[in-house]
Amino acid sequence: MIPLSYMGRLVRGGERLSYGHYAVDAPTWQALWHTSEVALPMLSFWADERRAYGLFLEGDQPLLVSTAIDDKRYVGPSQRYPVAEWGERVAFDLYGVEAMEVPGDGRSALDGGAWDITWPLSQRPGPGGNHGGAPKVSKAPLWIDGNGVTGVFGLVPDMQQGGIRAEQCEAGLGHRGVTAQLLGRTPEEAMGLVARMSAGGYVAYPLALARALMQAEGRRIEPALRDSWMVLLEIERVSLHLHDVMLTARAMDAGVLAAHCTHAREALARVCVENGATRRLTDMIRKDGYRRGVEIVPLAQAVLREMKPRLSKLALLVDVYAPRLAGLAVLPVELARGLAIGGPVGRSSGRSLDLRRAENGMRLDALRATGASAGDARARQAVRMTEVFDALRLIERILGSFGLGEADEAYPAIPNVTDQEGVGAAESARGDVWAWVRLRDGRVDAIHMRDPAVPLLAGLGRIMKDVEVAMMPLALRSLGVSTAGVAQ
Amino acid sequence: MKSRTISLVEAFLDVRRWRARSVASGGCTQLPIGLYFLETGSCEGCAMELEALCGGAYALEQNGFRRVLQPEDADWLLVTGAVSRRCAERLDQVWRAMPAGRSLIAIGRCAVDGGPFAGGYATLGGLAGLTRVQRSVPGCPPEPAAILAALVAFREGKAA
Repeated sequence: MIPLSYMGRLVRGGERLSYGHYAVDAPTWQALWHTSEVALPMLSFWADERRAYGLFLEGDQPLLVSTAIDDKRYVGPSQRYPVAEWGERVAFDLYGVEAMEVPGDGRSALDGGAWDITWPLSQRPGPGGNHGGAPKVSKAPLWIDGNGVTGVFGLVPDMQQGGIRAEQCEAGLGHRGVTAQLLGRTPEEAMGLVARMSAGGYVAYPLALARALMQAEGRRIEPALRDSWMVLLEIERVSLHLHDVMLTARAMDAGVLAAHCTHAREALARVCVENGATRRLTDMIRKDGYRRGVEIVPLAQAVLREMKPRLSKLALLVDVYAPRLAGLAVLPVELARGLAIGGPVGRSSGRSLDLRRAENGMRLDALRATGASAGDARARQAVRMTEVFDALRLIERILGSFGLGEADEAYPAIPNVTDQEGVGAAESARGDVWAWVRLRDGRVDAIHMRDPAVPLLAGLGRIMKDVEVAMMPLALRSLGVSTAGVAQ
Repeated sequence: MKSRTISLVEAFLDVRRWRARSVASGGCTQLPIGLYFLETGSCEGCAMELEALCGGAYALEQNGFRRVLQPEDADWLLVTGAVSRRCAERLDQVWRAMPAGRSLIAIGRCAVDGGPFAGGYATLGGLAGLTRVQRSVPGCPPEPAAILAALVAFREGKAA
């Protein structure tokens, strides 16, 4: 049992709304950001018109705190947690709720003056470009195409000092209004849309939501389903790691490595199709199962047969080209811890968090301690390769005892609580994806999906500070930066 | 156990052996067509498939296409994603920067009609809502092989 931290005690002094979710009053909310005690890592911050939410990690368990928003204002956590700034800016653009006592300049995250409606999710939206004057937008020229990010990301290199001007970069250009479309939908309908949140998590995103819905609806998870989900998640991990290693290889002119990665990934896609799944595992996860017609065990066996013979050459090639990545775009471990940067990027810096280790039924012996600590592009590439090995080993272990073990028991209803709420997570290839959902009358009343790139972007300025402009595409490829799940 | 050197040589030979062949009958003897990729707001799945298309597993160049990094060098513009309102101006800028004879191709469902992100305050839907789209590749996301086959068909004058 982990002893309660000061913050943990503060949060638990509030009213319990669901498992691990406490509502606190404004003075307690404010005290959270001013305490001198050791702080819990913040995973995500978000707000709507009525409440502001902070999701923390306590040990390996989520702890959610929220407070009511009064007169469209609240005290913003970014004064203590820089990772909260993105959520504060998004909340202002969507709902018009304003964070007070924060260091940011109030720049628009998503709107940018392009929408024809202001605060579109608030009860009283206004005409475009009218939220307290024109939205503050960066005037810096943005480097978008060919900057090393597959999605839409406006990069602003600092030509005088080197590195980037992180405070002027634009991550919200590709915003598509996903939250607005999710509200009011049934859980089944929501799953379909969440499955298209990010190609970096065709399995991970809906899996995180499915787990949140399991908690919200008080359903248990049978061991066979739990194992099936794990297998699909590991296949996706192999595919995504191959993709990110391939893009990094291409950016450093390592054509042979890139070709091997591409062939391996396409072979994996072919195997998936041959066994009834989709190529990139789109639409595989259902809220209480997985796509009909797919048999997980033959799929897993076929994946192992196809991928294992390829590993030794892939590992060799990663090692051969590794010196080209040494010392590039270093993530210091204290930054990874402070911002809760996870996935292979965090693990290659020495922050060892891997949510899979806390999952019921996990075959822990398959997961090696991927103990890199250099935090540079070389370490990231090596960790991805190690995790490909581990993913296949984990699939092997799961096949050895498929469907055995105890079920995850359902969460019993909390007395006097009518809303159904749940938090779920999945360790995606690029880091921990978190889902929080509240159902009312069987429909989505509120929802938040946390993408692992949010904390990464919060630390991008420091990570890129010594990177020359010519090396930026390679650095960003090695970080696996994607904005699809950030802009949503 | 093989030595590291032998394994490396084998890895290089693999790549030679894998060199994909042209899907067009008789190969391609025309000047290569310059392709410029533009993402305008999506899950990035289609953009990732375009990246896969440029890998060694598909015969993009053998079929007479080359990826270009500047719109000024492009013949065809391949758009992925629903057109977010903040990307609309950039789409227009890239299109205008391309030389005469340019062509617009929607890759994937979102680029055609906005897909699941159509409607609402944030996007303009797909290209179909902005202009007449004569060339498109359906799918969510489309396979690289299907994209390549469609590009070859477009070059041969067959509309999607």
